[in-house]
Amino acid sequence: MPEESLLTDDFIRQLMNVGEVDLLVGLPTHNNAETVGTVVQAIQTGILKNFTRERAVILNVDGGSKDTTCDVVTASSISDIRRAYNTHALRTLPAISVRYGSSPSSETALHTILAAADLVRAKACAVISPESVTIEPEWVSRLLHPIYREHYDYVAPLYRRPKFDGILVTNLIYPMTRAIYGQSVREPYPSEFGFSGDFGNQFLLSHNWRDEHGQFGTELEMFLNAAGSGLKITQSFLGTKGRAENRSDDLVAAMRRTVGVLFLSMDANFERWSADMSRHTGLAANPEYEIISDSSRVNRKRLKQMFSDGVSQLDSVLRSILSPSTVGSLHQIAALDEESFRYPADLWARTVYEFAASHHHSVMSRDHIVQALVPLYRGRALTFMVENRNSSAMEIENSIENLCGEFEQLRPYLLDAWNDGKRGSHA
Amino acid sequence: MVEKVDAAWYKRAVIYQVHVRAFYDSNGDGIGDFQGLAQRLDYLRDLGIDALWLMPFFPSPLRDDGYDIADYFSVHPSYGTLDDFKSFLTAAHQRQIRVIVEMVLNHTSDQHPWFQESRSSRENPRRDWYVWSESDTRYKGTRIIFLDTEMSNWAWDPISKEYYWHRFFSHQPDLNYDNPTVREQMWEVMRFWLDLGVDGFRLDAVPYLVEREGTSCENLPETHAIIKELRARVDLDFPGRMLLAEANQWPADLRPYFGEGDEFHMAFHFPLMPRMFMGLKLEDRKPITEILQQTPEIPPSCQWALFLRNHDELTLEMVTDIERDYMYDSYALNKTMRINLGIRRRLAPLLDNDRRRIELMNGMLFSLPGTPIIYYGDEIGMGDNVNLGDRNGVRTPMQWNGGWNGGFSAADPEGLYSPLLLNPVYGFQAINVASQKRSEHSLLSWMQHIIRVRRSTAVFGAGSIEFLYPANHRVLAYVRQLGEETILVVNNLASTAQAVELDLRNYKGRIPIEMFGKNLFPRIGTLPYLLTLGPYQFFWFRLRKL
Amino acid sequence: MREMIVSELSLAMQEIAHGFAHFLPRLIVMLIIAFVGWVVAYLVKALLRSILHLMKFDKVSENAGASEFLQQAALPSASELVSRFAFWVAWIGVIMLGVSVLGIGGLQQHVSQFFLFLPRLLVALFIIFFGFLAASFFSRAALLAAVNANLPSPRLLSLSIRVIIVFFVVSMVFEELGLAEQTVLLAFGIAFGAGMLGLAIAFGLGGKDLAREFLEKRLAREGGHEKEEEPSPL
Repeated sequence: MPEESLLTDDFIRQLMNVGEVDLLVGLPTHNNAETVGTVVQAIQTGILKNFTRERAVILNVDGGSKDTTCDVVTASSISDIRRAYNTHALRTLPAISVRYGSSPSSETALHTILAAADLVRAKACAVISPESVTIEPEWVSRLLHPIYREHYDYVAPLYRRPKFDGILVTNLIYPMTRAIYGQSVREPYPSEFGFSGDFGNQFLLSHNWRDEHGQFGTELEMFLNAAGSGLKITQSFLGTKGRAENRSDDLVAAMRRTVGVLFLSMDANFERWSADMSRHTGLAANPEYEIISDSSRVNRKRLKQMFSDGVSQLDSVLRSILSPSTVGSLHQIAALDEESFRYPADLWARTVYEFAASHHHSVMSRDHIVQALVPLYRGRALTFMVENRNSSAMEIENSIENLCGEFEQLRPYLLDAWNDGKRGSHA
Repeated sequence: MVEKVDAAWYKRAVIYQVHVRAFYDSNGDGIGDFQGLAQRLDYLRDLGIDALWLMPFFPSPLRDDGYDIADYFSVHPSYGTLDDFKSFLTAAHQRQIRVIVEMVLNHTSDQHPWFQESRSSRENPRRDWYVWSESDTRYKGTRIIFLDTEMSNWAWDPISKEYYWHRFFSHQPDLNYDNPTVREQMWEVMRFWLDLGVDGFRLDAVPYLVEREGTSCENLPETHAIIKELRARVDLDFPGRMLLAEANQWPADLRPYFGEGDEFHMAFHFPLMPRMFMGLKLEDRKPITEILQQTPEIPPSCQWALFLRNHDELTLEMVTDIERDYMYDSYALNKTMRINLGIRRRLAPLLDNDRRRIELMNGMLFSLPGTPIIYYGDEIGMGDNVNLGDRNGVRTPMQWNGGWNGGFSAADPEGLYSPLLLNPVYGFQAINVASQKRSEHSLLSWMQHIIRVRRSTAVFGAGSIEFLYPANHRVLAYVRQLGEETILVVNNLASTAQAVELDLRNYKGRIPIEMFGKNLFPRIGTLPYLLTLGPYQFFWFRLRKL
Repeated sequence: MREMIVSELSLAMQEIAHGFAHFLPRLIVMLIIAFVGWVVAYLVKALLRSILHLMKFDKVSENAGASEFLQQAALPSASELVSRFAFWVAWIGVIMLGVSVLGIGGLQQHVSQFFLFLPRLLVALFIIFFGFLAASFFSRAALLAAVNANLPSPRLLSLSIRVIIVFFVVSMVFEELGLAEQTVLLAFGIAFGAGMLGLAIAFGLGGKDLAREFLEKRLAREGGHEKEEEPSPL
């Protein structure tokens, strides 16, 4: 079994001492000593309040932290040996920690969590980000309750977010997964999510684990697997999406672990998504997805310039990926000035689909294909921000809904490009 | 004659709680009596117990199972005469069995002549033998103990037109311990029985002796002063006799009842008992270790009294609301089983008649620090009848054999003081002494064995305790030590097999010898000592230094 | 005199006929060998073409950028080229074998040299193929990275990398084929060194602002930054 080398003797011993549990909360960390204490406390409070009688464990999987992250977690164990925060607990609530490697890899972290969940036969599991400083104790219940008590297989989160946070999700990942898999899951690449022990075990056995350092994006693969397998999926409103300060996402890395993974998953799940599926809307525990105003300023000029430069500099590359008409359209809009620049939704959908098809046909290195999308995404992000700069939350929702409509309408186009191998046959 | 100079006998004893009414009927009137009890002393000697604790046998209207005493100097005619009692006492002592009797100091029956006099008029000399008041607003805020039946701690007396104070049933008026005459009289009561030769008293409801405005009317300094006085008198005139306190309080509040070794010799550890049941259901030692961590040190001459069940409900007063709800849902889903913040069930039904769990609970009872008290019938796994009123469901006749009335009485079954248990699982034909005596693998035989093993060492009764906290929280492990002798106890609270690693570095080089089978286990080294235990299994290891 | 010439002539004619008669069977054998060789070579070409087609060799060479190059040079596709090359090598090889077997003096040495040369030729071809593949891959990678990092002149950077790699590859090929080894190595060394030095100076002087900006961006992540930033994409 692949878990044999993944789990050290010491970790097995810790799991042995934990024994069978009903609930497992996984906490993948890397140098999170500043925030993990708050998060662990919220998790504990949530479990003690909402799952008073259940057997639970908090499992920290660490990717080589150099600070006291692991110590903070293990020190918060609730047992007869230590008292934590004067909280009265009916039973022991252990918090254990294991190092899965010397550098972070969300793939290995998730692999470890799933293997452990299997060994302790957890019925319901959740993964929570150690950076979620806005976490409330109720998050635990909202992620676990649908699994544990309502027998869902997967719970995706819904957040309250600034309106221009997560554009890659709202303008690409979400519309695409919705169009392809028929799942209106707003956060398919979540930092918090819940899953049943059965599904976790199924994914553990079926997924091709690479377990190399620096592998990310498996959370999305897990969701896509759930979506592709037709499991019971729901969404649960948590609260404000928190992130540690001074953390900037490298866009290329983000694209790799989302778009790259998404494109790959389409290969694996082709049979499923290519058939005609009626849309399956998961029931959200709290169906609102809250959008709040965004105070960040956007450098429009820079974004436009990066888009235009990208289109011109990568012309030869884009011509290998896209149809001539799409390339032509891109050049046209790249030539527009900053004020009149718009990257229309239908063109964007077509662009993304052609990229997906080219990715499938490996017209060049797949990683290069993903990278080539980056400047184009910037253009789309700029358009989205400009169009919605004064929009209310409802208007933004409509805008995203329209974009989803474009993606759904162009599904036949995607299928053709996918099967043909010739791009631009349906310009 | 039992050696009376052995002042600390209670620290090594195993006590058996019995109601004379329920044990054996010698005269066929359907009610157990002292002659019958005397006839069954051999059984108790064979069981291996050291002392009997008798429930109240005094003359009484029996509206609270004898705790409403109408005459302190006699025996209820249903149970025999005073001479019967003396004969029984002699027979018990001949078998090296001590006898502790129940003594209700706090209150009497309203049928007691004292109360009858007291209530007859406000000028009666015994008026202030009880606590009277014109209004029912005194001692406001004092909690009501029998919540299911009483609305107030004051009851209106229509005869003398005043209220009288009662912490328990309204037919049990509280004596007024502020009256020195009362105190003297109660000492006379105690002396009477001590003169006859009883070895000790279980003093019922001691926290409530004295009331004071603006307090909880429990555990007051005045109460402790009274107890000290009683104890001093006992030690002076009757050395070696024992006083056992019944005080359902938190461990820290119980501590004062030991004084500096000058109040009670023993006290029941009430809060531990429900937590043992809780730990078993949770499969987690946390409730047990935490309450014992909170248990204060007691004077060397004092001892905790441990028990699993008794004649009352399994009390859940000393737990949190969450814990109480959990216990109700785990052990008393049927609301008929609940009474007064407790559960009125016997040991075996509480544990689903699971032999392994019964053994484990008894294993902990006999190995935790304290003197264990066995409730009559639990040694054979008797069941209960929750359809009987109050707590009578756990006070059904002892089941001796599968014959007429379970061998309890020659009377007509309809004439018994309480119906017998008849169902196929717990009925007298299924559960009885005679059939269990025939098998060396019966629960009764096992109980005899474990009592023998416990008695083979003084460690359990008088030794210290050090908890090991293995990472596997399903395992409760501790070391008992007395002088050079060391015993390791390991209990698996889980319904599944468990592996546990114990840090026994302090005992490096010792050889564990399992005490039931006397087999050797691997020598203790520096590495964590790995043990595997089956579901609900426990080990007692003597750690031999060779 | 005339009889002498006629007799010499007929003697010579006889010698020629004799020689020819001696040579003709060998020639016929040679032609047969050549024919057989052609058949073998044709089969090799067809087989190789099928294999390359199955391996999607054309796609790979397209990735390598070789297809573009071939198209511009009005050459057939890569798999076709390789098949044809294999055809000629096989045919010439068989002919050479035939020649050596026939013991035509003086040619044996050349034949053995040919066969000794063949492996080195194949290696050189491998080097060229994979070299171009690498050049294409890395130059594209550099282009994408530079574009996404918003560096100036990404195409120049991409081209530079391609040129460097090609140059390197060509040097290796020449070395492998043993053609003007020393000259090429030296030339490569000088050009590479000069190029690197030039770049260092250019970056050091001309690019110091960019370098500073780059480092600032990297290191200033810890502290607060007042510049506008893109909102988080995820």
